Amino acid sequence: MSGVATSSDPGSDGERPLVAVLGGGPFGLALAKAAARTGQVLLLSRRDPGLQLDNVRVTADLAQLADAELIFMAVPSRYAKEALRDAGHHLDGRHLLVHVSRGLLDDELRTMSHLLRSVTPCRRVGALAGPISVDVLTNASPGGGVVGSEFPEVAEAVRGALGGPTLRIYDSIDLRGVELAAALTGLLLFTIGFAQRIGFGPATIATVTTRGVAEVSRIGTALGARSDTFGGLACFGDLLAAVAGSDRPELELGRALAEGATPNAALLRAGGNIEGIEVARRVSTFGTRRKIETPLADVIAKMVGGELSASQAVRTLMGRDVGSE
Amino acid sequence: MLCAMSQPAPKSSRIRDLLTKPIRLPQWFAGRPSAGDPRVFSFNDERESVVNEVAARVVAQCLGARLELLINDSAHREIERLEKQRDDEAREWLGFWRTVVRKLARMSETERHETLRQIVEPMARDVAGNFDPRVYRFAQQVIPGLIAGVMNPKQLMVDAASVRKLGAERLVSLTGHLDEMHALSQIGTVVVVPTHSSNLDSLAIGESLARENLPPVVYGAGKNLFTNPIISFFMHNLGAYRIDRRIKSQIYKQVLKTYSCVMIERGYHSLFFPGGTRSRSGMLEGRLKLGLAGTAVEAYARNAIRAKSRGEAPRPIFFVPVTINYALVLEAESLVEDYLKEKGQARYIIEDDEFSQLDRWLAFFRRLTSYGAACVLRYGPAIDPFGNRVDPQGRSLAPDGRVIDPVSYVTHRGEPVLDPARDAAYTRDLGRELVEHYRRETVIMTTQLVAHVLFRKLVRETPGVDLFGRVRRRGEITWAHAEYVTSYRETLDRLRALQDQGEVHINSYLETDSAERSLERALEAWDGYHTRTMARITDGQIVIEDPALLLYYQNRLVPFAERIAGEGDERAAIEIAALAGAL
Repeated sequence: MSGVATSSDPGSDGERPLVAVLGGGPFGLALAKAAARTGQVLLLSRRDPGLQLDNVRVTADLAQLADAELIFMAVPSRYAKEALRDAGHHLDGRHLLVHVSRGLLDDELRTMSHLLRSVTPCRRVGALAGPISVDVLTNASPGGGVVGSEFPEVAEAVRGALGGPTLRIYDSIDLRGVELAAALTGLLLFTIGFAQRIGFGPATIATVTTRGVAEVSRIGTALGARSDTFGGLACFGDLLAAVAGSDRPELELGRALAEGATPNAALLRAGGNIEGIEVARRVSTFGTRRKIETPLADVIAKMVGGELSASQAVRTLMGRDVGSE
Repeated sequence: MLCAMSQPAPKSSRIRDLLTKPIRLPQWFAGRPSAGDPRVFSFNDERESVVNEVAARVVAQCLGARLELLINDSAHREIERLEKQRDDEAREWLGFWRTVVRKLARMSETERHETLRQIVEPMARDVAGNFDPRVYRFAQQVIPGLIAGVMNPKQLMVDAASVRKLGAERLVSLTGHLDEMHALSQIGTVVVVPTHSSNLDSLAIGESLARENLPPVVYGAGKNLFTNPIISFFMHNLGAYRIDRRIKSQIYKQVLKTYSCVMIERGYHSLFFPGGTRSRSGMLEGRLKLGLAGTAVEAYARNAIRAKSRGEAPRPIFFVPVTINYALVLEAESLVEDYLKEKGQARYIIEDDEFSQLDRWLAFFRRLTSYGAACVLRYGPAIDPFGNRVDPQGRSLAPDGRVIDPVSYVTHRGEPVLDPARDAAYTRDLGRELVEHYRRETVIMTTQLVAHVLFRKLVRETPGVDLFGRVRRRGEITWAHAEYVTSYRETLDRLRALQDQGEVHINSYLETDSAERSLERALEAWDGYHTRTMARITDGQIVIEDPALLLYYQNRLVPFAERIAGEGDERAAIEIAALAGAL
C-alpha cells in the first residue's frame, strides 16, 4: 500500500484549528486566555456573554462546538454529565476532548474520561493536570503541566493550543494514572495544609507527604495506572507547588480543620469546588473493599465527616506500625 | 551473495507432502461461485493476491535500521526454535537462517529487502487458508449428524431421518441479536468476537452460523490443531488460517497481523477470540488485548482512505460480541488446575488436556445430551470499531442515538489517515468496551449459580483463609439443605433483578426450575462428567467436596457477586468480587 496518507504528512498542519473551552469559570477563562495567544478560541459560557477578549468568541450556542478540533472541558464534576450530554449532541469522532477535573465519579474510583467516552461520541479524550494554575495560564508565567491521553494527537493539540515559551506541556499515555493522580493529590494537599497549621515541622510534613504519595500510587496501580505517573507533574509536581506556596483550596481546608473549625465551616472557608473531600471517602471505601491500605484517606474521611478530631487524627496516623518503604 | 541466500527448495516427495501439507480437493469440478454466495466462497481465486499483498505490505513496512534488527531477531529466534525441533522443517530452514545471520551485517539495503521478502513470502503462504464450498456444504450436512452420533448412537439409529435435529440444536441454543447479525453481514464486514472457555468454542460458533444461514467466517487456528489429518482437512478447507505459536519472531507477528487486516479490508467476515487463550479461571474476560482483532481498526482506516479517493463511503466493519455459556466445560479440570498453579497466563497450550482425550469427549457429550440445551450462545448487539452501537442499517450511533460518521474517528484535519498509535489506542478502548458487553450478554447457567451459592458459603465459613487454603477444604464444609435453598432463592431473585435492569441474562432452566431441582440438575451434570465429586447430599446436608471446580464454575458470577449477596454474605461476596483483580 503505497501512497497512503499518514497523520504526520506534511501539509496537514497549517493555521491552528479552532479551540473551544466549555465552562466559563475561573479555570475555563484562564484556559481561553492562554489558548487565545496561539489562535482563535470559542468560549462556551453563560456567565458573561458580553466578555471582550482578543481572539475569543464567547457564546452559549453549543452547536458552534462542531467547528472546533480541541475542546477543553472545564465544568465542575457535579455539572459535568449534563454539560457533556448537551455538548455531545454536536460532537463526533473528529473532536479531541480534554478535561481538567480533579474529581472522581463514584466508589469504583472511575474517572472523568469514563464520562467523556460514555456520554459523548468522542474517543480521543485526555486530561490536563499538574501545577497549572489560573495565574500560570492567564499571565503566561513559566510553568508546566501534563496531558494524559492514549492518543498522541490529543497531547499534540493541547501543546499547540497552550504550549509556548512559558508553558511546557508534557505528555503521558497513562490517562488513568494522570486522572487518578490529579484527583488523589487533593488528599495530600489537604494533609499538607493540615500539618502546616497544626505546627508540624518540615520533617513531619515530608514524611506524611511522601508516604501519602506511596498510598495514592498504590491505589492507582490497583486501578491499572502506572506508579511512575505519581512521581510526575500530575501528583508530585502539584505537591511541590503546594509546599512552595500555591493557593489550592484543599490546603485551606486542611488548615481550617487543624484550627478546630467544624467540617462545614472549614468547607465554607476554603470555598471553591473541593472535589478532594468526596475523594477521601471514596478512596477509603475502595481501599476497604479491595484490601488496600489507605490510612491517610481513612483518617481524612473521618475528620471531614466529623468522626475524628485533629489530635485524634494525628495519634491514629503516628500510632500505626512501621514497615519497610 | 543473494544466490547463497536462496530459499530452501521445495521437497519433491509426494508422500511427505501428503503428511505435512494441508490436503485440498482437486479443482476440476469445483464450480464457480454464484453472485449470492458469501464472499468467502471466492476466496481461493483471491488467495494468491492476498498472499502477495500481505508480503508486499510487510516488506514495505520494515524499512531502514529497523530492518536489520528485525531480520536479526527473527533469525536468532528461528534458529533457537528449529534447533530444538530437529524435524524436517529444521533440516529445510536451519541453513537458510544461519546464512542470514552470517551475512546480514554486510548486506546492502537492497539485499536486506530481498532477504526479508524471502522470509515473509513463505510465512504468508503458510498462514493463508483455503475455502472450499464443497467441503463447507459437506460439513454443514454431515457434522451435526456426526456430533449426534457420538453423543447418542442409539437415537441416531432410531431417528436417522432427522439426524440434524438430534445433535447441535439440542445441544447449543442460540439467542440474542441474530436478526441484526443477518442484516449487518449483508451490509458490511462482520468481526465475531466471542468469549473463550473451550476448544469447542470455534465449533459452536461455526455450527451456529451455519444453522442460522449466516455466512461462514475466516479464523486463525493454532497449527497444533492441524496435526490431525482429518481435523486439518476440515479446518484448512473451511477458511481457517494457520497460526504457528512456536514462531516468536516479530516478522511473523507482522505477517499474521497484516494477513488478518487484509482479509478484513477485503470484506471477509472474521472470527477472533480476543481473550487470546481459553479462560483458565472460568471468569469472563476482564482485560482484552484484542491481538489480531485489533487490525480491524487499521483495516477500516485503510478502507476509509481508499473510499475517500473514490468519493465513496467505506464498507463498514462491525464487531459482534458473543458469549458462549456452557453448563459444563469440557476442559474445566485442567483449566482450573492451571489457573491455581498461577501459570495460566504463561502456559500457552496445554498439550494433554481433555480436548485430546476421546473418552472425555464421549463422557462430556453424553452428559450434555441428557442435560438439554447445555450451551447457550448469545449474540450481542453489534458495535463499530470505535465502540459505538450500530442500527440495523449498519449506521454508527452516538450515545444520544444520533447517526454519526465512523470515518470521523480516523480523520485528521478533514482527511482520513493511517496512524498506528491512534489505532492502538482505539483498540485498547474497544477491548474495554467489549468487556462491558461480555458482562451484559452473559447467560448465567444453573451449574454456575449453584456453584456460586456453594462457594460463597465456603468463603463465609473460612474467614481469613486464602484462595489456596480454601480449595484444599475438601469435604470439610457441610450445609443444611434447607438453608441452602433459602440462600439460593434469595440469590436468584437478586440475579433476576439484575436481568431486569439489563445487566445480565439467566438461562431458561433457572427461570423454571425449583431450587431443589436446580441443585439436582447441577449435581447430575457434574457427577456424570467430572472425575471428582463436586458436592453431594447426605442426610439433608450438602457436603462441598471439590472447591476448586466449584470455584471454576462460580467464577462466571464474579462481576455480580456483590450485587446478588444477601444479608450475612456481604463480606464473602467482597472477597469473591476481589478475585477479578487477581486475573
